[in-house]
Amino acid sequence: VGMARGNLTWVPGVMGEGTQGPELSLDPDPCSPQSTPGLMKGNTLEEQDPRPLQPTPGLMEGTKLEEQDASPPQPTPGLTKGDKREEQGLGPEPAAPQQPTAEEEALIEFHRSYRELFEFFCNNTTIHGAIRLVCSQHNRMKTAFWAVLWLCTFGMMYWQFGLLFGEYFSYPVSLNINLNSDKLVFPAVTICTLNPYRYPEIKEELEELDRITQQTLFDLYKYDSSPTLVAGSRGRRDLRSTLPHPLQRLRVPRQARSAASSVRDNNPQVDWKDWKIGFQLNYSHFHHPMYGNCYTFNDKNNSNLWMSSMPGVNNGLSLMLRTEQNDFIPLLSTVTGARVMVHGQDEPAFMDDGGFNLRPGVETSISMRKEALDRLGGDYGDCTKNGSDVPVKNLYPSKYTQQVCIHSCFQENMIKECGCAYIFYPRPQNVEYCDYRKHSSWGYCYYKLQADFSSDHLGCFTKCRKPCSVTSYQLSAGYSRWPSVTSQEWVFEMLSRQNNYTINNKRNGVAKVNIFFKELNYKTNSESPSVTMVTLLSNLGSQWSLWFGSSVLSVVEMAELIFDLLVITFLMLLRRFRSQYWSPGRGDRGAQEVASTQASSPPSHFCPHPTPLYLSQLGPAPSPALTAPPPAYATLGPCPSPGGSAGASSSAYPLGGP
Amino acid sequence: MAPGEKIKAKIKKNLPVTGPQAPTIKELMRWYCLNTNTHGCRRIVVSRGRLRRLLWIGFTLTAVALILWQCALLVFSFYTVSVSIKVHFRKLDFPAVTICNINPYKYSAVRHLLADLEQETREALKSLYGFPESRKRRDAESWSSVLEGMQPRFSHRIPLLIFDQYEKGKARDFFTGRKRKVDGRIIHKASNVMHIESKQVVGFQLCSNDTSDCATYTFSSGINAIQEWYKLHYMNIMAQVPLEKKINMSYSAEELLVTCFFDGVSCDARNFTLFHHPMHGNCYTFNNRENETILSTSMGGSEYGLQVILYINEEEYNPFLVSSTGAKVIIHRQDEYPFVEDVGTEIETAMVTSIGMHLTESFKLSEPYSQCTEDGSDVPIRNIYNAAYSLQICLHSCFQTKMVEKCGCAQYGQPLPPKANYCNYQQHPNWMYCYYQLHRAFVQEELGCQSVCKEACSFKEWTLTTSLAQWPSVVSEKWLLPVLTWDQGRQINKKLNKTDLAKLLIFYKDLNQRSIMESPANSIEMLLSNFGGQLGLWMSCSVVCVIEIIEVFFIDFFSIIARRQWQKAKEWWARKQAPPCPEAPHSPQGQDNPALDIDNDLPTFNSALHLPPALGTQVPGTPPPKYNTLRLERAFSNQLTDTQMLDEL
Repeated sequence: VGMARGNLTWVPGVMGEGTQGPELSLDPDPCSPQSTPGLMKGNTLEEQDPRPLQPTPGLMEGTKLEEQDASPPQPTPGLTKGDKREEQGLGPEPAAPQQPTAEEEALIEFHRSYRELFEFFCNNTTIHGAIRLVCSQHNRMKTAFWAVLWLCTFGMMYWQFGLLFGEYFSYPVSLNINLNSDKLVFPAVTICTLNPYRYPEIKEELEELDRITQQTLFDLYKYDSSPTLVAGSRGRRDLRSTLPHPLQRLRVPRQARSAASSVRDNNPQVDWKDWKIGFQLNYSHFHHPMYGNCYTFNDKNNSNLWMSSMPGVNNGLSLMLRTEQNDFIPLLSTVTGARVMVHGQDEPAFMDDGGFNLRPGVETSISMRKEALDRLGGDYGDCTKNGSDVPVKNLYPSKYTQQVCIHSCFQENMIKECGCAYIFYPRPQNVEYCDYRKHSSWGYCYYKLQADFSSDHLGCFTKCRKPCSVTSYQLSAGYSRWPSVTSQEWVFEMLSRQNNYTINNKRNGVAKVNIFFKELNYKTNSESPSVTMVTLLSNLGSQWSLWFGSSVLSVVEMAELIFDLLVITFLMLLRRFRSQYWSPGRGDRGAQEVASTQASSPPSHFCPHPTPLYLSQLGPAPSPALTAPPPAYATLGPCPSPGGSAGASSSAYPLGGP
Repeated sequence: MAPGEKIKAKIKKNLPVTGPQAPTIKELMRWYCLNTNTHGCRRIVVSRGRLRRLLWIGFTLTAVALILWQCALLVFSFYTVSVSIKVHFRKLDFPAVTICNINPYKYSAVRHLLADLEQETREALKSLYGFPESRKRRDAESWSSVLEGMQPRFSHRIPLLIFDQYEKGKARDFFTGRKRKVDGRIIHKASNVMHIESKQVVGFQLCSNDTSDCATYTFSSGINAIQEWYKLHYMNIMAQVPLEKKINMSYSAEELLVTCFFDGVSCDARNFTLFHHPMHGNCYTFNNRENETILSTSMGGSEYGLQVILYINEEEYNPFLVSSTGAKVIIHRQDEYPFVEDVGTEIETAMVTSIGMHLTESFKLSEPYSQCTEDGSDVPIRNIYNAAYSLQICLHSCFQTKMVEKCGCAQYGQPLPPKANYCNYQQHPNWMYCYYQLHRAFVQEELGCQSVCKEACSFKEWTLTTSLAQWPSVVSEKWLLPVLTWDQGRQINKKLNKTDLAKLLIFYKDLNQRSIMESPANSIEMLLSNFGGQLGLWMSCSVVCVIEIIEVFFIDFFSIIARRQWQKAKEWWARKQAPPCPEAPHSPQGQDNPALDIDNDLPTFNSALHLPPALGTQVPGTPPPKYNTLRLERAFSNQLTDTQMLDEL
């Protein structure tokens, strides 16, 4: 009887196959005889099977539960319909007039047993190795072989997956070099005089300092290696470097070396020829404590930026500078000439960091080549887009650069440690610059801080991250003597007459500078992720197909299987719980009811079984169904028929009987 | 039972069960889903429960959408390049080095051409700024006396004017002193000028033929005004001088090059080829291709490069045209045109200039990876230079061609296109105005040159590092200058001065050559394997699956629809022809065997076998299947002619 039951309970699972008749006829053979040794789970399931299957109330509960789950309330026939649906699936036509159509099937239907579920899964899964492992039950050797093979491929696949993911999550970047040729925006050009103040005008303020310094020099010469004097001199040297600052701030507006200038306005966009810095054309002006007055051309305040559409000297900035040094402060400014720097419009001019000194009496031609660097931010590299995520407040009124950040960081630390702001860097509000009168020991504090800064104890270099996009200008210079011997006569004459001053030391008094683009091609080095999500997925898919032959949808199938397992377990537990606690007497009664229900309410009981019968007849010999409809009806009919035929119940009776 | 047997036989024989011949689309879909290898489809059919089915449909469609999306991404990113940077260490070809004197022509040789211009310039200086006659006065006077009585030609054509800052529209012609009314725009933006000393600006006016449309160019510095004005007329004069004469007026190679030393071997003027530049006169190119082989250096360092001493004859400089002294050097590829004014590096006299080079080669991929051109043949601009294509050449050629088109003559600074002449006032009286207009249009990208010209795909660039030192040193000067003077004794008859000489060293810093190469990041095989990966990942699909889909969804699908339409039409025709047979009523309700209860559809194997559960009571009352045979034969009369014949027999 058990065998018979096993056979019958197994068949409904096959029902799902529907059209695959030949496969079905093959499958039962290996499966059914080996069910006891091969399929461990099947056996355990089989043990559980009788309980829900045999007692009709249990089955009824199952349907009730289903009703709770599913929204459309189904009467008892609903379950039968659910089963029937498989049949209907086979034939598209509505088979029986009294049968509701397939549309009325439950929202979700669950298999009634683990075994059924597994059979269904086995037959329909798309995982290539797994189906062999579970479903090839010819002998243990084969099963073991397939298990080993499956494990091997599984291991290989995950090893490869690990490699692929490892590569992806190391966020490799590949370098792209683009050459662009566009009209270029002329960069900002800052020129400084290399002398903060005119000496005659500042002489009174510096008188004492000068006297002391001269005294020191004299002393140094006289007593060469006297330690006390060295110490004294050092103290005074400190004094020298700090004293000018309160004065400087008062005198800034008066220091502009105004003089007549000329601009050649041939091309409105580029090509400004200009004699002397003082010309108020389109420049902004700031004062540098060491380099004096600095004038920035073409900076961001400029309404229309200069564009270069052609390379070459004739399409650049050309300036003639007066570099007379007779009013230089003798002890401070030891260099003559001017300092020029090329930088981006929204970057501050750090004259210390990048600059070009211009020699007087020489025409300096500075040719530029633009280079841009774009880094990938985010996971791909440590850079910041606009500096807003850097824990340092930007004290400069310009965009973020690493240099700006480092200076701001130093100033921050200076204020924290020494209580005053360092004079060369901008200060935040409510903080004043360091001054000996108020902060007597700031010099010592500064030097200590400077040492900490250099050894990165302050953490400025780690805090300040690189900006993601950097534009740089590569400069190279050529020099020629200017003015030439033959032309100097009229040039000097002209300059002095036009600008109403005399150039005493002719050749040393003037300098000329041309700044132009060497070529309009500029190189852009940009980064791009070398492993993108798309390629990662493609590689994963290739590996997966290679080793396993399954797909993401197979995983969804597995997930569905697990979900079904959980639900079925839950249902069964609930059922067992009910049969045990809810009405302990019912367990026996349920067994007794079997007989009565068979008579009274066959549909609930018969549902799983008629179909196997139907198919078992169908599979091997479909011809009788066609040739002799009347007998076929006799076998098929009973299940849906509400009345229940004697023949059908008798055929089903042995199944449920034991 | 015989008719039943017959039906069965017919159905078995003639009716396709499922598959491509399935009678309905639904059947076809079911067949496809059950039999395909594509994951997901099968589940739609076999899973139970409507929600489950819906979910599976959703999953499958999502997977299809993901595949399409990812494959689209792959296709769109197909044309990407990967860049490899290689550093070779090998013997490097020495680039071509072109050396020019800044001053184009010896002033003594060219002076007779420029005499009136110089005269007028000096007068302009005098009247404009009250210039005192210098120590050269006598010289100038002697020249002016020669040309006395001549009308000032140049100032009449384009006079230098003084513009009063606050009195716009009025300009003073400084030659005659009379006020002239100036129309048109004054292109001078220095209205907020701070300078107090001079309120006057100098400039000149360029007018077209009818003088109604004028452009005024002002310079607030007299130096620039004079230089620009001088240059304008200078170009006009020189444009009429034939090339041979110009070459003779300029410096010879023996004059310019005092000594030459390359890679430890002495060289001389024969190693240099002449190249005439309109604005810089005679230039000499070392290691040009015309010299049989391209020289190469086997070692880095200044000892193994090119060492030349140049004679810059400062006294022969044109005082108004150039104001600086020195030479220009350009380092370029052998087949490249030396753009002296763009990329030249100046060399100072009385100095040694060391130029260290570092070579970088770049190779880009052309279409469709980027917009570069291999040799310029696909750029619709005729290359007027006798050199390999470059972006600069294209831009200059474009401008020159436009200039010839618009103004009728060619600009002096660039080579001549075929069948064109350089501009001069005699033939083209208002070319200057035309030129300035065109130049402004060019700068504002109105000529379209910038959009037409593409960059070249491969190029070499030499990164230069320049350093300077005083030369000759005070102690070496004593013997060096006399020796050099003796060397040059044949060409020049004067004692060399320190400021007449310049030394130039050009060398490779090291023999590392950096090559930046682009290569396609994706190949067709990569693309296909990525496609395969995507198809496999989401649906375990393959190309065969795709073909299957095409077959099923397009060919079979439409064939079914066509068949059904055909049958419908046929039935409609049959119904119209013959009145319905009383024996076989059309109402399907009359049938007891629903398997044959088909409305206009072919019965399939499934449907034929799909015997519905009949009522138990009605089991014996199955009607004879005769009706069905009749009906069926009717429906398939075209297909079943032979069977029908048999049947009738």
